Amino acid sequence: MTGPGAATPTPAVEAVALRKYFGPVHAVDGIDVTLAPGRIYGLLGPNGSGKTTFIRMLAGLARPTSGQVRVLGTAMPNRPMLGRIGYMPQAEAIYPELSVSENLQFFAALQGARGEDAVGRVLALTELTDRRASPALELSGGMRRRLSLACTLVHEPPIVFLDEPTVGVDPALRVQFWAHFRRLAQAGTTLLVASHVMDEADRCDDLLFIRSGQVIARGSGAELRAKAGTDNLETAFLQFAGLDPEGRPLQPPVSA
Amino acid sequence: MSARRVFAVARRIAQGFRRDHRSLALLIVAPLVVTALLGWVLRGSTAGTVDLTVSGAPQPFVAALRDAATHTTTGLEVHIATAADDRAARDAVKGGSADVALIFSGSGAHVGLTVVTEGSDPASEGGQLGAVQQLIVAAAGSLLPVPGGHFPEITRETIYLSPHADQLDALAPVFLGLFAYLFVFILTGISFLRERIGGTLERLLATPVTRAEIVLGYSLGFGFFATIQVLLLTLFVLARIEVPAIGPLPTFTIGLDVQTAGSPVFAFVVALLLAIGAVNLGIFLSTFARTELQIVQFIPLVIVPQILLGGVFWPVQRLPDVLQAVAHVLPITYAVDALREVMLKGSDLGTAAVRADLAVLAGIAIVFVVLATGTIKREVA
Repeated sequence: MTGPGAATPTPAVEAVALRKYFGPVHAVDGIDVTLAPGRIYGLLGPNGSGKTTFIRMLAGLARPTSGQVRVLGTAMPNRPMLGRIGYMPQAEAIYPELSVSENLQFFAALQGARGEDAVGRVLALTELTDRRASPALELSGGMRRRLSLACTLVHEPPIVFLDEPTVGVDPALRVQFWAHFRRLAQAGTTLLVASHVMDEADRCDDLLFIRSGQVIARGSGAELRAKAGTDNLETAFLQFAGLDPEGRPLQPPVSA
Repeated sequence: MSARRVFAVARRIAQGFRRDHRSLALLIVAPLVVTALLGWVLRGSTAGTVDLTVSGAPQPFVAALRDAATHTTTGLEVHIATAADDRAARDAVKGGSADVALIFSGSGAHVGLTVVTEGSDPASEGGQLGAVQQLIVAAAGSLLPVPGGHFPEITRETIYLSPHADQLDALAPVFLGLFAYLFVFILTGISFLRERIGGTLERLLATPVTRAEIVLGYSLGFGFFATIQVLLLTLFVLARIEVPAIGPLPTFTIGLDVQTAGSPVFAFVVALLLAIGAVNLGIFLSTFARTELQIVQFIPLVIVPQILLGGVFWPVQRLPDVLQAVAHVLPITYAVDALREVMLKGSDLGTAAVRADLAVLAGIAIVFVVLATGTIKREVA
């Protein structure tokens, strides 16, 4: 899609020397990333590696300590640009007392999307049309996850950040989610999907391995496997992180 | 500022209420129930009887007392008995068979009059003494037979309300403001806390909505319900609807029929300004709470002192200087003053005090709006 030699389109998202410090904690410690349009990027790393902080900065929710984010060529944070971004937080972040369609209408209105058409489209996309009148409270966990995704996509954003969208989602639904993501990418949407589940990695076009707030490896799944000389992405991650297959440091610090 | 987004936030709140019947009941029904209970307590209690025992009084005076007791409206029914001597009268009060003893001593030009009560319940004794005092005034003529003349007739009048006004007439208008403040504060605080902990605030802030739009939408949404609440409560306080006997039910009245001098419209404006302040105080304080229980814990900390200092039960002017200074930064103080001015004294915008109260209330509401906006953390404006 963005092969070498082709005229480089405006990157969907660019992060330049991005850092976020919370006091002594370096949550994000110098990340440079460029995301091309129409691709699915996987952000993989253990809990606490800085994935959420990184995504929140990209989504304009947190101001970097240093460095810069540009979305579609515009420096963030920038309020109007938020309307071009879909952000799915880790928490469900829906109103339990509102019905499915009321939740969607609310976020559609805030995003300035045309009400009924937009709502009908994402209801069909997430297969919630039958439950549109149900209070979100009465939905199953998987349906709430789908509603949360629908709220993220209701305004047809060209850029979508998904923070662990498949946590607590059963395998069948997970397959459906990834099928949606692929269709969106084919339609030109850029997706960045944070996960700590390595078996989702192969569904992404490109992977960013992140640890302690730094990108430790990047490339397609095949490239990373080849580089690490293993068939297993998990083993590859541990190797890039400088850990042995049991998660211990390869060269333990020598005590004096 | 987009009106569409403000209305979206307001409508979201209204839709939530539609399914959350308990919160709706808290906002609408609870104030009515509490006010009705207050009316019942205050009015039901005053319609009691006073047992008065008299000793050593001249016979014409006792007769005059009895006459006054049947003809004078005191709000209390006074039963008059005579005791053999002052000891018997005191024993009657001590034993509980009499509430008040009236003991005469001396004779001719040196008549002494001692009023004895039991003393352990000053509040109700105050009411009883008031009734007895009225009878004494009415019967006093019999003590001073002026040859060829009449004892001057004593009439009682009040500047505001009427001599027959009771505690409820003075308290009920203030309750309009109090409930608008209390219930709106609790509901907004909890509602906004849910936004913070449920992640929906994070999701809101990832849209182009501005913080001011969120705060305005909240004020509008809760203001709408506060409006319904204040309207119903005003009607209930002021109205008196006679319900005729239906089948086995006896006739009864709905509403407290509280006397009012002024326009309920101004009272309504005051309550609404107070409610908007409460919405934003709720948003502001939700920053300092982690759970819904902690919002409830703000009631004794934030709300009760306001009720104690705001002039609801005790006049602000009688508070110690330090507390007066505190009272003058509380919105409730100005609301209580404005509500009393409007409802009891019939003041309107022509009165400087009302204008000042409204201006301060509006100012405080704006300060709370700014504070609330400030607590919504966001990296972009």
